[in-house]
This record gives sequence, C-alpha cells and structure tokens, in this order.
Amino acid sequence: MTTASHPLPRRRLLRGLVAGMLALPLALGACGGEESADDGKVELSFFWWGAEARAQLTEQALALYTTKHPEVTFKKTWQANQGYFDKLATLTAGNDAPDIFQIDDNYLAEYATRNVTLDLTEYQKSGKIDTSKFPEGLVTYATVDGKLAGLPMGENTQGLVFNKAKLEAAKVPLPTTGQTWEEHIAWAKNAAAKTGVAGTQDPSADYKAFWVWLRQNGKEFYNGNQLGFTQADVQAWFELWKGARDAKATPTPDVIHEGNATDVSKQLVVTGKALTSWVWANQMPELQKNTKDALEVIAYPGDASKQWPRASMYFSVYKGSEHKDVAADVLNFLANDPEAGKILGTDRGIPANTEIRAQVAASTENPSMKQTIAVVQELAKNFGPAPAVPPKGHSTVRTELTKAAEEAQYGRATPAKAAEQFFAAAQAAISR
Amino acid sequence: MTLQRLARPLTLVLLSAVVLYPLVWMLGSSFKSPAEVLNNVSVLPDEWTPGNYTDGWNNFDVSFGRFFVNSALVAGLTVVANCISCLLAAYAFARLKFRLRGFWFAIMIGTLLLPGHVLIVPQFVMFKTFGWVGGDWPYAPLIVPQLLATEAFFVFLMVQFMRGVPRELDEAATIDGCSPYGVFRHVILPLSRPALVSTAIFSFIWTWNDFFRQLVYLSDLEKYTAPVALTLFIDSSGQTSVGPMFAMSVLSLAPVFLFFVAFQRMLVEGINTSGLKG
Amino acid sequence: MSPVAVSTARPSPPAPQAGPAASQRRGRPARRSADGVAGYVFLSPWLLGLLTITAVPMLMSLYLSFTNYDVLSDWASMEWVGLDNYRTMFTDDPSFWHAVRVTLVFALVATPLKLAAALGVAVLLNRSFKGAGLFRGLFYLPSLLGGSVALAIVWVNMFNRDGAFNQFLSWFGIEGKAWVNDPDFALGSLILLAVWQFGAPMVIFLAGLKQVPTELYEAASVDGAGSVRKFLSITLPMLSPVIFFNLVLETINGFQGFTSAFVLSNGTGGPVDSTLMYTLHLYIKGWNEYQMGYASAMAWVFLLAIGLVTAVVFRTGRFWVHYSDGED
Repeated sequence: MTTASHPLPRRRLLRGLVAGMLALPLALGACGGEESADDGKVELSFFWWGAEARAQLTEQALALYTTKHPEVTFKKTWQANQGYFDKLATLTAGNDAPDIFQIDDNYLAEYATRNVTLDLTEYQKSGKIDTSKFPEGLVTYATVDGKLAGLPMGENTQGLVFNKAKLEAAKVPLPTTGQTWEEHIAWAKNAAAKTGVAGTQDPSADYKAFWVWLRQNGKEFYNGNQLGFTQADVQAWFELWKGARDAKATPTPDVIHEGNATDVSKQLVVTGKALTSWVWANQMPELQKNTKDALEVIAYPGDASKQWPRASMYFSVYKGSEHKDVAADVLNFLANDPEAGKILGTDRGIPANTEIRAQVAASTENPSMKQTIAVVQELAKNFGPAPAVPPKGHSTVRTELTKAAEEAQYGRATPAKAAEQFFAAAQAAISR
Repeated sequence: MTLQRLARPLTLVLLSAVVLYPLVWMLGSSFKSPAEVLNNVSVLPDEWTPGNYTDGWNNFDVSFGRFFVNSALVAGLTVVANCISCLLAAYAFARLKFRLRGFWFAIMIGTLLLPGHVLIVPQFVMFKTFGWVGGDWPYAPLIVPQLLATEAFFVFLMVQFMRGVPRELDEAATIDGCSPYGVFRHVILPLSRPALVSTAIFSFIWTWNDFFRQLVYLSDLEKYTAPVALTLFIDSSGQTSVGPMFAMSVLSLAPVFLFFVAFQRMLVEGINTSGLKG
Repeated sequence: MSPVAVSTARPSPPAPQAGPAASQRRGRPARRSADGVAGYVFLSPWLLGLLTITAVPMLMSLYLSFTNYDVLSDWASMEWVGLDNYRTMFTDDPSFWHAVRVTLVFALVATPLKLAAALGVAVLLNRSFKGAGLFRGLFYLPSLLGGSVALAIVWVNMFNRDGAFNQFLSWFGIEGKAWVNDPDFALGSLILLAVWQFGAPMVIFLAGLKQVPTELYEAASVDGAGSVRKFLSITLPMLSPVIFFNLVLETINGFQGFTSAFVLSNGTGGPVDSTLMYTLHLYIKGWNEYQMGYASAMAWVFLLAIGLVTAVVFRTGRFWVHYSDGED
C-alpha cells in the first residue's frame, strides 16, 4: 500500500486531532493515577496467555518476587490464547498496554518493528538483564533490527512425535533421528501398511518443517526481511509430499487439514489418525496427557544440526511503561533466579538459562518433562547457528503456506501452481 | 383422524431429536475422560468421568460459580437497560410524529450494518477517555451503552411489534384525554409484553454468550464472565481440558435454558385475550 | 405512505412533509405539536447514545479507512492515504472478491432456509399443548451455544468423516465425506449450522403469532376456511411485520456471518478459503495483519452494500407488509 508523500495540511490537522484526542486519556491518567512514585510502591501490570497450570506457576513466581521486593506488586491478567493478541493490540492502541506481556515469535517482530516493545539491549549490556547463561542462538532469536525486543522465557525445538504403543504392537521398527526425509516417508508407508493407520502427517503446510528442510538444503526461510528461498524450493517441497500422499504414507486431505491446525488437541498423533505429528518438542507432556498410547519424540528427519533453539515465548516490556527499570528487573528475576526457575519449570519451554535448565532436569519427576528436556538437550549438542526471529508479516506467510499446501493436498492445484501462488503471496506479505 | 392428530407431536419429537442430537453428544462428551474426549466419537463415554464437573467447577482460583454470578449480573442489568431504553425509542419511532423521524430511523438501521470489528479500537479509546476502563467495577463499558438504547436491533424489533397494535387504541385513549405519555403508559406499555419478553430473552442470552467485548474490558480473573472463563480451558498451544470445558458449557446452558423456559410462558399467554378487546 | 419506509430508501427525506401529510389525511392535526416534543423526549436516550457511544467510533472508523492505521504503531505516525484502501480492495486483493462470493452464497442460501425453519417450527409450536414450553426451549437450545468453544468441537464431530451424520447416512448405504474438512462442503456445513441455530427468529415468530387476534381465526372458521387457507389469508398477512423484521435482520446477519466461520475454521477461513466470509477476511486484515485502515474501508464498503440491500427490502416491504396501525 502506498502512502501519500505530501499530505495536505488539512489532513495533517485531522490526524493531529485524532492523535490529540487519544492522548487525552494519557494526560488525564497522568494527573490521577501515578502517586506510586511518591511512596516507592510500584504496581506492574502483567499479561500472559495460557491455562490454569501456567497461571499458578506464574503467580507463584511473581509472589516470590514480591516477597523479595515488597514495594513491587503485580496486577495479573491471564486468559486463553483465543483473543489474546486481539486484546493486547486493543490495549496497545489505547496506550494502555501492560507493563510486561508474553509474546511469541509470530508477533515479536510485528510489535518490535512498530515500537511497542522496549529495547532491552541497554539492560543487557549493563548486566541488569543477564543473558550470559543463555544459548547464543536464543538471544539471536529475540533480536529484531538489532534490538533485544523480548527476553526468551523458554526454549524448544522441532520434534517428531510418534505413537510408540501402536508401532510396537504392530512390530514396526521405531523411527530414528537422522533418517532422511525420503527414508521417513518410506518408513511411514511401511508403518501405514502394517498398522492400518496413516504413517505420518503431511507437514507441507507446516512452516517449521519447511524451514528445517530448507536449512538442510542450504537455504533459509528468511534472510532479513526477504524470503530465503525460491519458488523452485517450494515446488520441490510440495512435490516431496505429493509423493508421500500418492504412496499412501499420509492420511487423506481432510484429515491432513485437521492436523494442520496447531492445537495440541488436534494433532493426529493424539486423535489417533496418524502415527506421527510434527510438533514442538516441549508439547510432549500435553500431547501425552491427551492419549492413552505411549508417545515418544525424536528430531525432524535430515541433519538434526539444522534445527535450532527457538525461543518458545518471550516476555516483553511495554515501551510506554512507567516502570521500565523495575519491569526489566522482574524479567531478569524470572529468567535467572534459581528459585523462580524451579517454580516455572518447563511450562513455557525448557528454561532459557542453561544452569537452571540443568537443575530442573535433575529435580523434575514428571517423566515426559524429563524426556523433553533430554531430547532438547540431546539435539542442542548439534545445534548449528540460529536464524533470526521471523520478520513482520510472518503470520500471514504461515497462513499463505497452509492455504497453498492445502490446495495441493486437496488436488486443487499442482505443486508447481501452489508453489507459484504461495511464493507470490509470501513476497507480498513480507514487503508490506 | 388419529393420524392427523398424531402428526404434530410426531413431527415435533422427530425434529427435536435431530436438532438436539449434537447437544446430547456434548452432554455425553462432558463425561468422557481426557484420553477419550478427543478420540471417541460415540455419544456415550466408555468410561464415565463425572469428575469433569467438579474439576471444571474448581479448575481456577475462583470457582466457576463466580463467573456465573458475574455473567448473571451483566446479563441481568443489560436486560433491564435494553427493555427500558429501547421501548422508549421504539414508541417514538412507531407512534409519534416529529421532525426528521425518517432520517433518524434510517440512521438507526444504519448503525446495525457496520461490522463490529472495526469499532473495537475506537470504542476502547473512547471508553478509556471516559475513564470507564478497568477499576473496581469494570462492567460500565458493557452496560452503560445499553442504557442509551445502542442496540438498534431491539429498537427495530419493538417498532415492528408496536406497529402491529391497532392505532384505534391510541386514538381512543387520546379522545379520552391521554397525552402521548398517557398513551405510552396505558396502551403501548401493557401491549408491548411480547416485544419486551423477546427483548429480555435475547438480551439475556446474547450477553450470556458474548465473548469478545467482555474479554477486552475484563482483566481480572475474579471479574471474568462465563464465556470468557470457558475459553480458559483451552490453551491451544499447550494445556487443554476439553472434558471440563464441555462440563462447564453444559452447566452454562442451564441458566439460559431456564430463563428462556420461564419467560416464554409470557410469550404464550400473549395479549390476544386481554389487550385487543379493551 | 409510511415515512419510515420512504426515508430508509432515501437517507435524507422530506420527513416534515411526509409527516403532516399523513396526519392530515387521518385528520388529527391537534396531536401534532405535542407529538413533536414528545417524540424527542422519548427518543432522547437513544439520541444521546447515538451521538456519543455509537457515532464517535463509527466516524472514527470512517476516518481510519482513509489512513494506513495499523493498531500497534503510535497514532501520530498514522498517515492519510486517500482512497488507496478502497482502490486496493477492488483492484488488488483477490481474496476480497472471493470473500464476496462466499458471503453471497452463504447469505442467499442460509437466510431463507433459516427463516423457513423458524417459521415452520413456530407454527407447529403455536398451540397450547402439554410440554409446549419445553419444546420451545428445546428448539431454542442450539442457539444458546452461540459461537462458544464447545460449538466448534461439537460441530466438527457431527460432520467429520466418522461423525454422526455419516453414521446416519451409512444406514442407507451412503458413504459420506469429511464435510467440515472438505473445501467443497465446508461452506455447506456452515450453512447447516446457521439453519440449526434458528431459535432467535423462531421466538420472534412465536411472539408475533401470539399477536394475531384469535377472533380472526374464529370468524374464518365460521366462514368455513381450512387451516391452509387460514394460514395464507390470516397468519401470513398478520405476521408480515414480524416476517419483515426477521427478513431484514437475518439478511443483515447472514451477510455479517462471522462467528461460526471463525470458530469452525480456527479463524482462517479454511480449508483453502472455502469459508472466508467477508467479515472474516476483514477481521484477518485488521487483527492478524494489522491493516486496520484497510479493514475499516472494507467495513464501510460493506455498510454501503448492505445498506442498499436493506433499502431494497424496505421498498418491497411496502407491497407485502401489512401493519395494523393503519400505515403501510
């Protein structure tokens, strides 16, 4: 979309009027609301999405901070992720965003490039926020345009979850890390024939699988604010999976479509409609909770060193916060304090601080949590350099990938045609 | 003859069986265990798990009953506000003559037409300017607009009902010396019961189900309403509790169902016996 | 001629002329001046609400439709882009036209079906019999689910490959499809969902039916009219204001249909855009891609288009809606 380069004075006036009206609540708020600075008491608003378990852990950790710093209290708001980003955006538009909010890699660049998040680099440099124990890739994955836009609160990596119970019952060999993509598809075909359940979810609509595959082929999903692949790459990817579908290694398109939803509860390995699902490794405990069959997780096919430590979630500080220093200190506490780390566990991913990670791994009694940490740790040994966090427009690119892949899955477009469609749409989304 | 007499009940039973099947399925699923609720497509659970109800009720720091109370509060106030404010406006549109009546009516219909998603940010900014957002009683943005008849749907609904009331009644009252206020009090108000009851039912149910506005303006677990709380069971990227969610969904249908069954009686009794002969 | 019907078709009507003309014809000029004041007295809460709570956000969104407003950035960085959003919509957004098509199909199929179902069941329930109230409640139950989280899961399970609907088909030896997950049928299952939730118009029909004076039926019986005849010559005309109301509202609802599409497709409009309704596309533009200026433009184009449709419906209403208040 182009913008008028010489707005007429009248138009500038209108814009100023709206901006002025919107600034009004800020001005009014400033006279009434902020006595806090006088008596040293600070109330930070804190906003995250999640379920009950996360709420309890987060509240405990924040209570611990208040115990140590009695002058700091929290106004906690939590909700499900349905509507979370709608509400966060609305609050931001009303200059009313919370001091600290949870965010993920879909939205980090959207918020950072629009100057909503506070650049934490200064705090990092002065040591007020300590990232020295973080894996390097994790910090890279939190940096947008050279600014530290959020503090990673957990790490995860791509994981291929499979239904161990069903495979063992049918005496099919379990898949292993290091199989090539072609070997994986051949394995899935065999497993499907032996068990009567589709061997593997077709992940062609899944950006994280595509991304791993691209990196193994020497490409990237993004280079800065550009796409890191060509239309031919997309076509090859779509053709790879058309082959798998034709070989009956995957479920039918309608079932693939169900699995294309990112919800844990819709993963085919949970609903019993496929033997493997392409997930994030830290989702293992929740996946396991939703099925009777024993599950296990390995790396995605191909060279596992092309996977990377992805920051599963971040906490960001609102640029308009009245208490930026305190907020930064809270982030540092949540990420680096051993007690806080013990409370938070792996709820938002494997702890970002590697020392705390080791402690949690040693002390946890939850078997799937233990396994998750072990798997991520194991994979982490081989991790190569991490890519940058996806740029603005990423969530549109993801939607477009799903759309194009499904065109191919339903047979409404050839892989070539679908690739062309996706490539054009992705480019448009990125350059917006 | 018997066949004809049986036709109506038979049709009703068959129809309701079809219409209700999905809900019966939901009821059944509210008794399924976590491992079963996603995989077992049949109505009945293999393993009955009544624990979903207690789990759902006590799932949060605040018991689910609190969310019902909040919802009932918001819905109840909305019902009262809508009934009063929309009735006044509808009387003006349906019965009184005044300058620009047609113009205002067109504007009112027009306000029904704009998709709400582009109004969320401007409304939020506006309510914040008014100082209504947050605080100890965060429900003001949900209720004050209803006091000012901003739900044009109900105004239109009542206009249509009032126009079904023969004007001879007003005229008779006017001849008896009633002012427009008297006509409103003695003719329109008593005859508007079906419209008022419909408005009450819809106001209550829609508010009970409204998710997005309540989500935006409520930020404190203790202040959450039932529809907001129901989503808390499903964190799609992580922990999900489908069984308890179904259980609480079933429970949250109960008050609205009872509200409906209680009020529809007033629809049935109607005005045909009392009103028109007077 | 009703000033109401005229003016909706023409937004700035000569209402003062229409009003007195109508009253003079009725020969009660005495009430006019008192009405004029009383009209605004009764209208005042609504007018206050309009001028503050309704108009301000609407006009703001109109203004935003000429800007590149993106929700997140500081308001001061917003820029005026003239008609760019409108131009993009019509010339450079293939999804826009796709969404228009999907919405037209949905509204034109779902609205009449839903109204027919509602009217049919309302007529069936319009007798006093034991358990009538319970049945009314039962038929209203589906609407109570609204667009809740539970609804999506329930509906998907009804119309999935191994869902109840296909089990039903299998009794007749028909092998069904995964209706909700098939791009050719997903919109169909949305339409079915809309029809299933026919409770609201049903209640309005029921209330309307109760307003029909029983004397009329008694008189017709004396004249020897059968039930079909009574339905056509008494029920339908007497019900016409309510039918009209339901038609207008359900048409608007049909075109605005968002919730079910959003809930069933997880907010994507999938599979492959088959359920990408106009308002869902608008939502995705505004809230996922943060092009709120563009979304606002889409909303105002929608308002104009649907306003035109509504005006047409109001026009035709003059020919078939019968008002007991004597104005037509």
